[in-house]
Parts: sequence; structure tokens; C-alpha cells
Amino acid sequence: MAIFPLLAVLVQTLNGASLDALAAPAGTRAIVYVFTSTDCPVSNRYAPEIRRIDQAFSTRGALLRLVYPSPHESQAAIREHMSQFALSDLQAVRDPDLALVKFVGATITPEAAVIVAGKVVYRGRIDDRYVDLGLERPAPTTHDLSEALEAALAGRPVPHPVTQAVGCYIADLTR
Amino acid sequence: MSHAMAWVMSGRTKGTLAGAALLLGGAYLGGSGLARASQAGPQITYEEHIAPLLSDRCAMCHHPDGSAPFSLMTYDDAKRHARQIATVTRSRFMPPWKVDPGDGPFIGQHPLSDAEIDLVERWVEQGAPGTSVEATSRGGETGAGPIPPRGWTTGWQLGTPDLVVSLTEPYRLAGEGSDVFRIFVLPIPVDRERYVRGLEFRPGNPKVVHHANIRVDRTPASRALDEADPGPGYTGLIARSAGYPDGHFLGWTPGQVAPLVPEDLSWRLAPGTDLVVEIHMQPSGKQEVVQPSVGFYFGDRPPTRTPAMLRLGRQTIDIPAGERHYTITDSYVLPVDVQVLALQPHAHYRLREALGEAKLPDGTLKQLLRIKDWDFRWQHVYRYVAPLELPRGTTLSMRYTYDNSPDNPRNPEHPPKRARWGQRSADEMGDLWIQTLTRSQADLVALETQFRRKVVAEDVHGYEMEIARHPDDVGLRDTAAMLYLELGRAEPAVEHFRRSLALKGKSAPAHYNLGTALTLARQLDEAVYEYQRAIAIDPNYANAHNNLGNVFLAQGRVDEAIREFREVVRLQPDSPSAKANLAAALQRKAPL
Repeated sequence: MAIFPLLAVLVQTLNGASLDALAAPAGTRAIVYVFTSTDCPVSNRYAPEIRRIDQAFSTRGALLRLVYPSPHESQAAIREHMSQFALSDLQAVRDPDLALVKFVGATITPEAAVIVAGKVVYRGRIDDRYVDLGLERPAPTTHDLSEALEAALAGRPVPHPVTQAVGCYIADLTR
Repeated sequence: MSHAMAWVMSGRTKGTLAGAALLLGGAYLGGSGLARASQAGPQITYEEHIAPLLSDRCAMCHHPDGSAPFSLMTYDDAKRHARQIATVTRSRFMPPWKVDPGDGPFIGQHPLSDAEIDLVERWVEQGAPGTSVEATSRGGETGAGPIPPRGWTTGWQLGTPDLVVSLTEPYRLAGEGSDVFRIFVLPIPVDRERYVRGLEFRPGNPKVVHHANIRVDRTPASRALDEADPGPGYTGLIARSAGYPDGHFLGWTPGQVAPLVPEDLSWRLAPGTDLVVEIHMQPSGKQEVVQPSVGFYFGDRPPTRTPAMLRLGRQTIDIPAGERHYTITDSYVLPVDVQVLALQPHAHYRLREALGEAKLPDGTLKQLLRIKDWDFRWQHVYRYVAPLELPRGTTLSMRYTYDNSPDNPRNPEHPPKRARWGQRSADEMGDLWIQTLTRSQADLVALETQFRRKVVAEDVHGYEMEIARHPDDVGLRDTAAMLYLELGRAEPAVEHFRRSLALKGKSAPAHYNLGTALTLARQLDEAVYEYQRAIAIDPNYANAHNNLGNVFLAQGRVDEAIREFREVVRLQPDSPSAKANLAAALQRKAPL
């Protein structure tokens, strides 16, 4: 564990204020970032599951934030998107400089990262429903993000710290 | 591409830009010109190379109100999905065309060639160059406007319909869950028989409606199922009485619309017919409203030709859990010359490869279609651009291979379960429908009569599967028994009618049915008993008296036969056959 202050990873709140993505508020043991966009059909389909994970874990010391990395998506568009998909109760940040994207190594929306004490302990898919674009299971068989969160909150090592997310490319969002 | 060239392109009208786009698109389909260009390594730009492809192959869905989740009609759109476009075209996930590129040619075929896929990939690797329209707001015209989708217009693709029917109450699709299959029943308000040349389905919410299976029901059965289920439509199976009209396919997949058929090939639509539309929807993450409509296009003259719909397939499907390669085959030798108009493969989730072939009498083998990566969610009718001529003696065949192992991500059961033939999506099916035209009405009758026997022989297997699941469904039992009688197999008919009778209890028709089957099974004493039970319940059951009379005659019990036939004449004094039967019996008693 580092004994000097970690470098801040700066993102923006929806009000335009700067925020250190790694700084956990008091009482938060794990921060969950879910990278998303306003028009990715895959991350949109995950909206109900993201809400469920937020509800299940927010009382147990986890804080979930949506991350919108696209510089082309305005605050208003993001708020509208969150309202349409019943995500307005969640926190959201913008990451137009890709600081958090690069720190985590995210490449896809939706993709999730679990950060404990400034370290990424999980990065990858929310569950294994999508095998590839256009190839989905009728239902997921593993719930990777939930399992990672359970382990992280219990202080155990995450069994599969990296999994492959399927969806839209963050690289495209920033062209 | 230089700015100068971009400026020249944008100076054209939309029409000529489309024309230029088509020319460019056409030039790249050949391949050899493209190879020379790629060896020279020019820069690939959106305007010159990518926009024509998007217009031709993608725009029918990727326009602002289209079926696709995002539009690709501007440079900015394409740029912001560039890597995704490269990935999905490389994997051939997009454009969605499931059959081998060499099959057909079929209407609406839009696969990309390998050269075109390479072109897209190189464009993305080069950084997706092109000129943004946003730049034009700073003054000076640069960059192309939105590309017009080739062959796709707003509104009805087939023109203004003669009649539009819509779902009256919108359906609310939940935001999450598995794919939803919901059946809607739409009365078709025609006041006289009409001749339908085609119909166009508009999903209402193109982003969540994935495809539609469309049928017609001339009975109230589908409507009854709809009324029994609260909310618009119902969840369940398409009623047995709802089918394709007169040898025609109906259905909808995104970005496609079946062209109108010539007037002489229209199908008859009677008043009182319902349209039955099974809509497949994919939840989007938020609640959606779905309210589809269907446009009908009528001809003025009645049809003079009717297609024959042939079905190859197996209803004996029984795939063990975990089985990786389970294969079914079926074949049929054409007794007459035909033209093949269209093909539709059908199966559920576990099918992996579908193959349809035709072997001509001279031994030439023609692949009708092959789908290497079957996806239950893409149910398409493949219509030939020009009918395929197949001579008498051609063997039509199919071979389908299924994967019921845990390694098949599309397996609906986890862990895998035994999968038997059945119409629910958890069961499996395997059919290849082949729409054909014969040269003459006589040929049509010959073909349908012969083919009917093959279909019924397979159907009884399917009925046995369903009866095993629902042993107390009298409808299934009765229908199965009738099919067995049609095949001349009286013993299984007897068994099913017996069971049906036991379930119905006191029913004169059930005794009658059993009596008829027993007669055909040559169990005459038992047949007599059943007819007498029918008459005991309903003494005025003329048909039972009639059949009983015939059985008595067969047993040489002439006096008893005469008594029965007299009763028939009493009940049906105007029936010529009743009098004839009585006369024949009297003849037997006292021959001249």
C-alpha cells in the first residue's frame, strides 16, 4: 500500500466541477465506475442491471458512478439520457480527457471498474450475457461485477480481476 | 481527400451526389480496380469510399428513424462508430445476411465483399478521415451532407397502401429481460373478397422490434386467445388455424420489404379474416411503447396461379443434453417441374448450420442456401430475384445440425436439457419451407396431393411429441387421430379417439369418431358398440345411423342395416345418399 498521496485522476461532475475519481468519500470502501454513453445499445440494455447493482451495494460501502467519456455528450444530453433510463438517482461524471479511461484501461461501453484504496481491483464486463456483438446468451451465467464487488467489500482478492467487456468502443466516442 | 475535392462534391445536388455515390459504389464491387488502388495506397476518405457503401448497404436500417440503434448517414456518425463499423463488418455481424454470399441471388441481398471489408478497415486505421459538416458552420462549404439511403424512402416503401390496420392499444415492452415474443391479432376490415399483392409491416418502434412472423386466421381462434389475455395481444403459441395464405410467405425483417407480386399471383383475403402478427422484441433498457401497423396492397383481378408451399423437415427431433452435433435430414423428389420462388428456414435456438440443396436429375448439385451461424433472431424469407427452375426428378434436400452443448452460447438452457420437437422456443424445430410454382393447375394438384402425404406423415410425429407433453388435450388427440386416418393407419387413430372419448365423457361425436376409426381398423363389433353408444346419447344422429348401417352390411346383418338406413331416411328425407343406401340394403335382402 502506498504511503504517499496517490496522484489524482481528474474527472468532471455534471455541473462542470473537477473531481478526483480516486478519492473515496467517507464511509466508502469501494468505488464502482461504469463507463457508458448516451447511444450505445449494449450499455442501454444494462441500465436496469446497473440500477440493481447500485441499490444492492450502496448500503454496504460501495459507491457507483456512471462515467461518460465522450467529449461530444453535453451535460444536458447526459442528464436526459439518465432520466430516460431511470438512472437519475445515480451519480455521473464526464471524462472528456480520458483520464479515468486511461487509468482503468477501459476500452468499451459498458465496462466496469472497482477501485479500492486508489487501486483497480476489477476491470471488465458487468456479466457474461454478451459473448460478442450480436451473440448473446438468453441469460447471463456469471455476474462478474457483482462477484468482484462482493470480494472487494469483504476484503478478499477478486477471483477474476480482468474480464473482456463487449459493447461499443470508447475510442470511437472520442474521435 | 483534399479540401478542393470535397468542395466540388458538396456543390452537387443531392440527386447527383447519390448518383456519384452509386457510381463509386459500383466501381468497388468488382474488386480488381480496387486492388490496384490499394496497392498504390491512396488515402481512403469517407466521402469517396465509405459514404457510398453506407448508403448502399447500411442506410436501410441506419437512418434516423430506422431499425438500427444509431444512424450512419453523416460523416460525424460514421466517425463516431468507426472502429465498431470495422469490427462488425469484419465479423460479418453487419450487414445482417445469414446465408452464404454465393446463394441466391436473393432480393435485398447486401453482404459486403472481402475487398469492401478491407477498405473499411483501412479507413479506420488511417484515422477515419473525412470532413465534418460541423466545419461548415464556420463559413465555406466543406464536407458532404447526410447521404441519401439508396432504395429507401421515408414512409411506406411500397407506396400508399389501400388499407392500413394498426394495433389499437399500444403494447408496453418492459425495459429488461429476455427477448419477448408477443402475438397480436388484428381484424382486417374488408367488406368483400380482396386480392392481396403484398403487405408492408411497420413496427411503430423500429428500435426494439426485431422481426415479425405474420399469418392469417379465418377462424375466431386467434381472437379468442387474444381476448383471454389481458393487455394487447397474448403470449403463447400461434393458433393452429393461423397460417400462411394460399402458398404465400408473410413476415418482416428490418430493412427489407417483400415486393408486390404480380396480380395473377395475389392471394385471396376473405372478410372476417384476422391478421396474426407474432412480434419479436428486444428490451432496450427502458420501457418502450410498440404500436405496429400493416399496409395492404390489393390487385383488381383474382389470382390465376397459386404457389405450392413445400416443407422439408423433421418432427422427430430429440437432442440429448450436451450433444454437440445432432443432425436431421429430409428429402423429396419433385414429381413435376417447378420454379422456386422463395425459401424460409426455420428452427429455434440450438441450430448451428442449415443447409438446403437441390440435386438435378443429371446429377448437378445446387446449393439452395447455407447458413453457417444460425441465429434464431434473424428469421428471413429468402426470395429469388428470378425464380429458380427445377425439373421433375430433382431431389430437394435439407440437413440441419444442432449444438445442445454448454459451449453453444445461444443454448436457452443452462445447463443444457434434452430438447425435443415442439413449438415453444425452449423446444426445437427444423424446417425448410420452399415456395414453388408449377406449370399448370394439373401439376399443382398432383404436387400438392403427393406432398400432403409426406407432410402428414411427419406431422403425426410432432403431434405425438405434443401429446406426450399434454396427454389430456382432446384437440391434439382428435387432430392426431384424423391425420392417422388420412395415412390409412387406423390403430393409432383408435387409441387416440379412445383417450379423447375417455376425457370427454358423455359425447356422441366422440363415440362416433371412435366408431369410424374402429371400422377402418376392421374391428367391426367394437365399431357397432361405439355407434350404438353415440345413438343412445343422440338418437337423431343421422351420420351415426348411416355408418352403423354400413357396418351391419359389412357383417352381413342386413335386417339391422335396413333398420338403420330407414332411420337415416326418416331423419334426412331429402338426402339422396340416404335413399340410395337404403335401396342398396333392400337389394341385398331380396336380390332380383
